[in-house]
Amino acid sequence: MIALVRFQMAGYVRSLRVLQPLIVVALFAALILSQGPSGPDASTLAARTFADVAAFMFPVWAWAARALLDTQPDEQRALTATAARVPHTPLWAGLLAAYAMNLCLGVVALAIPLLQALQAGSPGSAILTGCALNLLVAAPGTLLGAWTSRAVIPDPGVSLLALLGGALGFLLLGIGPLAWLSVPMIDWLRAAHDGPDAFTSHFPAVALHLLLWSLVVGALYATTARRRP
Amino acid sequence: MRLENVAFRYRRRDPWVFRDVTLSLAVGSVTEVTGHNGAGKSTLLRVIAGLRLPRVGVVKDRPARVGYAPERFPVDQPFSVRGYLGHMAAVRRVPRDAVDAWAERLHLDHLLDVRLPELSKGSGQKVGLAQALMGDPELLILDEPFAGLDAAIRDALPELISGLAADGATVVVSDHQRCIETLPGVERLRVADAAVTRLAPDGTADDWTVLEVEVPADEAATLETKLRADGYRVRRAGQ
Repeated sequence: MIALVRFQMAGYVRSLRVLQPLIVVALFAALILSQGPSGPDASTLAARTFADVAAFMFPVWAWAARALLDTQPDEQRALTATAARVPHTPLWAGLLAAYAMNLCLGVVALAIPLLQALQAGSPGSAILTGCALNLLVAAPGTLLGAWTSRAVIPDPGVSLLALLGGALGFLLLGIGPLAWLSVPMIDWLRAAHDGPDAFTSHFPAVALHLLLWSLVVGALYATTARRRP
Repeated sequence: MRLENVAFRYRRRDPWVFRDVTLSLAVGSVTEVTGHNGAGKSTLLRVIAGLRLPRVGVVKDRPARVGYAPERFPVDQPFSVRGYLGHMAAVRRVPRDAVDAWAERLHLDHLLDVRLPELSKGSGQKVGLAQALMGDPELLILDEPFAGLDAAIRDALPELISGLAADGATVVVSDHQRCIETLPGVERLRVADAAVTRLAPDGTADDWTVLEVEVPADEAATLETKLRADGYRVRRAGQ
């Protein structure tokens, strides 16, 4: 499993596909996040940034995961499948590689907000909550990317539309009565904008929602992808 | 390993690529798969390798260690030959020195630091063979392995295949170049007209006929299993 994860990550990095999301995240960090919060509410604003970063990174994580999973040519996926003796190993290794790579992107995105929150004296619990939130949101982002990867949607145009439509769809779904079906983006953004205490106190519900969503969508992905050639 | 009543098609409404395939692949055997272009040889090899699930029927007792070399090795990958084979060795859980050993055996050692996209077709084919062979496979599937190979390896490969089979590997080869047909004891399958036929050593199709047998309903399943185990093709009336 670990060898497969390393193989997929190495292919993604060496093909330089990693530069695409990395440049987007670096620009986001340099142009937007570097303008840190100031004034009397600086510590509150700094804690709020973690929630904004998670919302921004959700589609970026999906995009990066899709690119990583699509790096291997189809024939190589067949070779990998025969080399791994357990049939499900390549599927889980792909997800793990994409999630690990997304965590690295998350570190780049969170470096500046973390420094700003520490400098502004944001509550430690809010900072930890922000980091944990990003850790959790990377999972549904990865799964959305996996669902739109070539193994599930072979046509690149359709898969790109599915990726963009999925990210937008989940945002819109989160506003209406079917919000429980979606990634709880609106919930964590509202909680964070209500202040660090509300952000921290709402976190268990948001975390549970994210975990359940990831489990269900991940299980459906595993079932679907396993049946594909 | 054994294919029982296997049928495959890519999509629900597509025509069958092959159907009613029942055959055994004995341990230590070498099987040559023949047929015209597009007949379904590569698809059959992929079903045997476990890369495609049959729509109908089952593949039983497939060995755990499978080596598969495709018709076209995917060279569009950002690794050197050494780096790629090193990763595949790690995935196959074989020691890294297996890379050097197989590179030397397949005359690849001078290409180890070349990037995969820069390889010729024949050299790419050798990399595909190396990754398939280095896991000490119990089931070895080679799809047109001789295409593009230089004369030295083309001459050496049948002996290599024969040696692996003698060590207990089950080998299945699709071979348009007819390089392995001279090997002693090669079994031959022909894929044509959505059927897989076992050929006699002289290249003609084994002569099969239909024999209808009436059995009590409660004994049908037992007899069917027994006949299939003996290598007969069985179809129930009304199926």
